[in-house]
Amino acid sequence: MNLMNVEPSWAWAPYEPSLESPWNLSAAAHLFRRAGFGANRQELEDALKLSPSEVVADLVRAEETSDFQTEMQSLLRAALATGNVRQLAAQWAYRMLHTPAPLLEKMTLFWHGHFATSAVKVNDVRLMQTQNTLLRRHALGNFKELAIEISRDPAMLLYLDSATNRKSHPNENYAREIMELFCLGEGNYTEQDIRELARCFTGWEIKRNRFRFNRYQHDSGEKTVLGIPGVESGEEAIRVVTDDPNAPRFIVRKLVRFFVLDEPEPGDELLAPLAAQLRENAMDIGPTVQRILASNLFFSPLARGRKVRSPVELGIGFLRVFDGSTDFFQLADALDQLGQGLFTPPSVKGWDGGRTWINSSTLLGRANLIHRMLNGEKTRFGKQSLADYFAASGVDSIDEVADFLQSSLFAVPIPRPATERLRELARKNQDSTWVNLAVHAFCTLPEFQVA
Amino acid sequence: MKSEFMPYHFSKQHGIKLPRRSFLGHASLSASVLTFGVTAPGVLCEAASLAKEDRILVVVEMAGGNDGLNTVIPHRDDLYRAARPKIAIDSSDVLAINDELGLHPAMRGMADLLENGQLSIVQGVGYENPNRSHFESMDIWHSCYRKDETRQDGWIGRYLESEGMASLTDPPALHLGKRQQPFALMSRGVRVPSIQSLEQFRLRVADSPDIRNAIRSLSNQSREDATDLLGFVQASSRNALEASERMESAGVKYKPSESYPETALGRQLETVAKLIASGLHTRVYYVRIDGFDTHANQPDAHAVLLRTVGDAVSTLVRDVNAQGDGDRLLVMCFSEFGRRVAENASDGTDHGAAGPVFLAGNGLRSGAVGKHPPLDDLQNGDLLHGVDFRQVYAAVLKDWLKCSIRPVLGADYEPVDVFAGS
Repeated sequence: MNLMNVEPSWAWAPYEPSLESPWNLSAAAHLFRRAGFGANRQELEDALKLSPSEVVADLVRAEETSDFQTEMQSLLRAALATGNVRQLAAQWAYRMLHTPAPLLEKMTLFWHGHFATSAVKVNDVRLMQTQNTLLRRHALGNFKELAIEISRDPAMLLYLDSATNRKSHPNENYAREIMELFCLGEGNYTEQDIRELARCFTGWEIKRNRFRFNRYQHDSGEKTVLGIPGVESGEEAIRVVTDDPNAPRFIVRKLVRFFVLDEPEPGDELLAPLAAQLRENAMDIGPTVQRILASNLFFSPLARGRKVRSPVELGIGFLRVFDGSTDFFQLADALDQLGQGLFTPPSVKGWDGGRTWINSSTLLGRANLIHRMLNGEKTRFGKQSLADYFAASGVDSIDEVADFLQSSLFAVPIPRPATERLRELARKNQDSTWVNLAVHAFCTLPEFQVA
Repeated sequence: MKSEFMPYHFSKQHGIKLPRRSFLGHASLSASVLTFGVTAPGVLCEAASLAKEDRILVVVEMAGGNDGLNTVIPHRDDLYRAARPKIAIDSSDVLAINDELGLHPAMRGMADLLENGQLSIVQGVGYENPNRSHFESMDIWHSCYRKDETRQDGWIGRYLESEGMASLTDPPALHLGKRQQPFALMSRGVRVPSIQSLEQFRLRVADSPDIRNAIRSLSNQSREDATDLLGFVQASSRNALEASERMESAGVKYKPSESYPETALGRQLETVAKLIASGLHTRVYYVRIDGFDTHANQPDAHAVLLRTVGDAVSTLVRDVNAQGDGDRLLVMCFSEFGRRVAENASDGTDHGAAGPVFLAGNGLRSGAVGKHPPLDDLQNGDLLHGVDFRQVYAAVLKDWLKCSIRPVLGADYEPVDVFAGS
């Protein structure tokens, strides 16, 4: 099977389970890894009682419960009170692990990488959280609204040095990123478009950490953006940009890369049905995401194991599969060292993902993170040790551990020699310490890095 | 996806590993054979014949604005003593560079390098219309652009990117330190790890040789039928474990040829030496020492800082030479600005403009390079720059790292003449 030969109509048609491509634990685990941060055995078994499209629909529909929101609000207050961005990141990691709406959270992370803004420059945890809340509110909503809201977001405008945008000196920085990184992609606009767009944003200011429109600084002269004359306000300009046919193509490409596969790069023809749908839906993101997650291509071998786990997927995913919990501050720190600091993306371009997650320093760091979580004082799996957790789940031998990991955590087969080798090891360590040893060893396999 | 297992071959460990020193000998031999043909001249170890991949840059950022005038001192100049009645350094105390100039007496380490012909002091480095904010000036040095220009990346980041280093399996550059990653290392395509210690380069496992062996051999097996992506991850894993082992055996085998100073900078540079000795393919190491913002009671504090830098850098240069990798090393020490010529009322100095940049390593034109900025021609009480900092970068890029200047600096700056034979 080769991506180049895939029929677009087949690719995005709903996946129907078959003998060749069964709806089993592995398939469900694949869905939960991509649409969220993984799932425990019970969630997977529950999912198998429904059809794949029903499970996807539930994921799209899911909302945070009010109990969960109350819990998060108190955690958030505590984190904000410290003023420490790492505490804020720890709080978000906790939210990702425990959320009843994992797809919403995954999409919030997607937008954080898309509209990347770093606390390193913004230097204000409250503004970072305001933006995070904004991203979550629109995560599966309308892209046009999100693009307008983010353009008034104080953290974003401070980050891109656009907090003052005066008539006499329009700031082109934000206008450029709107076109290049947020909506259209390079090559789909001219330098003239950037200058005109920047004029539309004149008078947009941040005063005392709030957005304000200063009409005395707004350039109300004639402006033409992307060939459309008579564009007046910043809001109108963003509508023009997001109405451009390149916008749905650009967003859909990024969604497919995020949810389906790192490589190879799909062609325009393959993406065309999704782009058309996004456009028909007036840039409502939810239905397109739903179609991607329930599609033939998504469940095909072309997607299975074809992404490198991001540090967040690795750390949160590992815990979620075993009902784990850990020291979130340490976890947030580790994510940063592995290249995915929450609230501190490396540049306005966000995280490139794919192979760039991997180098010798991060690979060792990933293995060490698993080791540290497994053996950390604050780590629990369903309120107990991993050995006890396995015992309670009827997982007693190394082969049963391998089977458990294979269906819940691994997207590609665990090499048989690995299980054999670790079986010997388990035999030598008769007490239950072999469980942590073996799980750590399995998670150092190259196979664990893809998902 | 079917659950059939991929066929496996247990591959033997590759041949015996040569220690880095002897390996390097061969590397530079083969590189020079390629360059000069079979009649390789007897300059096998000269820097000019070094492969691009073997060249290492260590950047030492002296944050806070180093007082260049009390670092490279025009001690015979009456204007110098007149401007600094309380904090001027006496002619009898300086460590001579030439007839006019001397190093601060605390810079014994740098003076030793100078004697060995391993130190180039570029004088009066700065830029037009100097900014006196630490952050803004540091950002200008890091990015090469000013605030009103778009600046998303740093000069080293752009270097790594333009040289296509996104796909190296070892990190192309490393930042050693706890603080936030320097802007200079940022780029869109290449991520640079920040590590606080070598611990982060060590595979932590339970205390059991069995598991260590198991992990190593399992990652070493070749996987047929693996996707490109999995193949890449597997190759990277093997490299990572090898790097980690190299590091651990380097930790065991590597013995510093002399002890490093007991300072944070000394420990960081010792780590750099250890990483170089372990054969990591990293090209750029970045470290930072803070505290140069000497507004008050400057003399003692400044002496400590200069001693810290001089001792740590000179130890690094000597040690890396003793390990056999000396020709691969260039160290660059810079600060975001110099300080006001006239001292202030608190025995200190305020933010200024141009200052010296130090380059250390083999193959340099040793001594003071360029003119000391004249003390009778100041701009708002500050020294005028004679060399744009990008000319220093240009020399590092073109003559040391052997890459083009324009993609990194955005324009062709004339490299300052610091490398012998450049």
